[in-house]
Amino acid sequence: MKLKDSFSPFLIALPLALSSCCDKQSCQAEKGSGGASQETTLVADGSDALTIRQSLVRINSTIQVWSASQPWDKSAPKKRRALGALLSGNRVITTAEMAADATYIELENADNTRIIPARVTAIDYEANLALLEPDNGDIDSFFEDLVPLSLGSSAKIGDRVDVWQLEDNGMPIVTDAVIQSVDIVSSFANGHFFLTYEAKGSMQSASNSFTVPVVRNGELLGLLSSYDAKDQIIDIIAPEIIHAFISDSADGEYIGFPSLGIAITSTVDPNFRDWLKLSDDVGGLYVTKIRKGSAAQKAGLEKGDVIIEINTKAIGRRGYYSDEQYGRLYWSHLIRGSLKQGDKVELTILRAGEQKTLTATLDRPEEPLVARDTYDQPPLYLIKGGLIFQELTAYYLKAFGKDWQSKAPLNLLDIMMTPEDYEEGRNKIVFLSAVIPTPATTGYERLRNFIINKVNGQTIADISSLIKAFEQAGPDGLHTIEFAEGPPRTIYLDAKIADVVDTELLKRGIPALSRE
Amino acid sequence: MFKSLPRFLPIKLASLLLLFMHPAIAEPLAISSLAPLETSANASLPEKTYSSIVRIEVATQVPNYNEPWKAGRFSGGIGTGFLIGPNLFLTNAHVVSNARRLLITMHGEARKHPAKIVHIAHDCDLALLEVDDFTPFMGLHHFQIGGVPKLESQVRVIGYPVGGNRISVTRGVVSRIDFNTYSHSRSDQHLVVQIDAAINPGNSGGPVLQDGKVVGVAFQGLRSADNTGYMIPTPVVRRFLTDIEDGRYDKYVDLGISDFPMFNPAMQKKFGLTPTSPGVLVAAVTPDGPCDGVLQKDDILTAINNNAVDAAGNILIDGEKVNMNEIVERKFSGDQVNLSIIRDGKSMDVMCTLKPFPPSQMYAVQYDVKPRYTTFAGLVLQPLDRNLYSAHNLTNTRVRRLFTHYLDEGIFKERKDIVILTRVLSDPVNTHLSGHVGTAIESINGENVSSLEHAHQLLHPEKSPDFFVIKCEGVERPIVIPGDKAEAASQRTQSSYGITTPANLSN
Repeated sequence: MKLKDSFSPFLIALPLALSSCCDKQSCQAEKGSGGASQETTLVADGSDALTIRQSLVRINSTIQVWSASQPWDKSAPKKRRALGALLSGNRVITTAEMAADATYIELENADNTRIIPARVTAIDYEANLALLEPDNGDIDSFFEDLVPLSLGSSAKIGDRVDVWQLEDNGMPIVTDAVIQSVDIVSSFANGHFFLTYEAKGSMQSASNSFTVPVVRNGELLGLLSSYDAKDQIIDIIAPEIIHAFISDSADGEYIGFPSLGIAITSTVDPNFRDWLKLSDDVGGLYVTKIRKGSAAQKAGLEKGDVIIEINTKAIGRRGYYSDEQYGRLYWSHLIRGSLKQGDKVELTILRAGEQKTLTATLDRPEEPLVARDTYDQPPLYLIKGGLIFQELTAYYLKAFGKDWQSKAPLNLLDIMMTPEDYEEGRNKIVFLSAVIPTPATTGYERLRNFIINKVNGQTIADISSLIKAFEQAGPDGLHTIEFAEGPPRTIYLDAKIADVVDTELLKRGIPALSRE
Repeated sequence: MFKSLPRFLPIKLASLLLLFMHPAIAEPLAISSLAPLETSANASLPEKTYSSIVRIEVATQVPNYNEPWKAGRFSGGIGTGFLIGPNLFLTNAHVVSNARRLLITMHGEARKHPAKIVHIAHDCDLALLEVDDFTPFMGLHHFQIGGVPKLESQVRVIGYPVGGNRISVTRGVVSRIDFNTYSHSRSDQHLVVQIDAAINPGNSGGPVLQDGKVVGVAFQGLRSADNTGYMIPTPVVRRFLTDIEDGRYDKYVDLGISDFPMFNPAMQKKFGLTPTSPGVLVAAVTPDGPCDGVLQKDDILTAINNNAVDAAGNILIDGEKVNMNEIVERKFSGDQVNLSIIRDGKSMDVMCTLKPFPPSQMYAVQYDVKPRYTTFAGLVLQPLDRNLYSAHNLTNTRVRRLFTHYLDEGIFKERKDIVILTRVLSDPVNTHLSGHVGTAIESINGENVSSLEHAHQLLHPEKSPDFFVIKCEGVERPIVIPGDKAEAASQRTQSSYGITTPANLSN
């Protein structure tokens, strides 16, 4: 399903985010030469400027992620500042990046005269969108003279758009940009691709610029998700996606974008096409994987099927279809664009050369064996006598750094790559992540990254079943811990000593021995 | 020693440096070594004795595992050797590995004597050479092999290191006696003696002397540290010389078990031991290894040949605590060792007959062999081993897993080779392949591939099928090559990429 990797938003947003520490003099210098720049203009303090200042809200968030190695700890807090767009009903829309793992979020007006704490009412890590509302405080006076933006309709290639930013002093900066292309891009959570406008425009650094609103004809078109300073390309989350997000969140219960639950590959290779008995007049996508319990599986789709149409739209050999509005667009937009959970999608497929039509009822995918997007979810763990057990997540593996795919433990990586080989009897993978040297763990100090099969004879399906299994030690007073691989395959833990150690660990500052 | 391999290897490897002098690196090192060397003021060896320490000039041809049909790189270097008997020159295996021509020069002489390898042991980095005509060497001193030198005792290293053409002598003390990795094969650990004498590239294969006797063979250094040279101690040398007495080198043997220390009180309680009881846990037994069927997982190994094994797996020999493998290290293929164990609470003795274990070659660097491969329609297939792993950037998780668990999961029983698609040489028939390079071939036309030869047979059948369907492990979309286009594509790629030999199935 992966189309292309967008540039990491963290990296690209950096030049913009840095601006908050740009010294006054250089900002002034930039302003002075502002007139020479064609695209970036300081708006005179007239009616336009007022509208902009009244519809923009500064967002200051404090982000704290959990420690992968010491799952009871949070890492040092980081600040992130952005601009959100005010919507009706005192709602502020921004990217999920601003709200994911946030410990504290506050809203601030353009003039920096009013501040109010905020909470997240809906967040979509996949589409990179979040909706904030004031949490408590003097709500009425905060919003007193502010004017919400209305949501705009979709644009087309060649349209001009305005990117709104604010100077430290509250003066708006408007950058004129032209939409150059439309693509499916993943901007935050890995592997989730959504409709994105790519506009050309030269932006300058300014405060609160982690993400900023993009406006067309006075209406909110989208949100800037990343800016490539080298190519001057602005990625804008498209209005279709924002509309779907907002309407989903309207009832207070956010569900999210549906999916089919498949992985595909192209059918460009003529030899491959001959073998599949595909004629030259069809395109088609070859289905390589179907997620268990997914919409595709329920619809009867099988590995090796070739999808040639989705909702009567012909799918090309590389997976593109002709969109009325945007031209050639990747097929995933047909599923993850404006459709919602429960909507039906018609799939025309070729199976062994024979054409069939299947109807899939779109659904949210079940959480996979190795959870991928664990934002705002603290890692689940258990400490027993100094042995640290955790549930395996992609977050844990990625904590091994930039080269995590070669540096993370091989056995755990393999589960991430081929979870189907490990699913039986498990909801999650529980593994021994580290050992704190204690009297109970003497000799075990070097054991780590071992997958747990059983404890005290009970099969371990997740951290909750592990906690339960440790409740009753064997008659000899020993806990028996069986690993999926070794050596050693089995280790033992003295239940009495372990309990004493656990009490001691609590005294030493570990806040809790487990989290379910 | 294959059992402890994958775990300890990577750390040690990077830092060990073989002391074989390649022309390419000789120069920069030569400059740095112009600093005054501490020369042995009163060399106790008579001039005549120096003549028995010879300079070995080697011309090599190093196989190319990247493009295995190519001739490989022609190179060469200098090492040291010494006379230990009539026409018996001892040196390091790495000095003469992949050699195409060997020339031996006596100290103070210009004449180069053609030589050849009689025995070579890559697992302990030793080799025995002979010259075609021994007459000029008649009457020279034959070095005697001594014992293991004591810590802090003084030794001298003699050889032909960088910095000049004539013989060089350096002096130092014995700093450490330990088990360590032999970087030549990368997969073997044996006894090693560390000395602080300056030993440099070119010293490789040279004698380390004490009281006129050889106490070691200089062989490797440590890049990241000063004054650390390593020598192969005499127990290893003696074992090599004994092993070849029957005219053949049979390699080291190993028990083929993984042990786990018995330090934990709960572990001790479970197995009915006290904190002072001897015995280490048998955590795994390598399938088909020498102990398969003799030892079992969860046995407690308490003694080897009546040497008590402690909770960490150590034994006491000559007053020194050493790893229990030291007993096996000195044994030979076919020898028996007596293992005292506790199984299910009962003490018993079992016998293990040591034997070589060919699958462990997966982890040892291979020398003096031609890389195996086959080609088909621009696809290059090679068997997985240490050489291939080093030559190609194999990052695929499944391939790494197959490599790591080749022995302990008994993968070798089903798959003599793990066949890797290492390259796709562009041709119209394979233009659109992607994501397949660097994966293991699982099956060809539905049949599971068990070896390179097997893959070759499946790809070159008497009658071509409609399609060759090649399934790679972890990649759902198969490689499809039409049967009627395969032969032409093979011919095309062979001529355009200069592949004169389309396959080499044996080394």
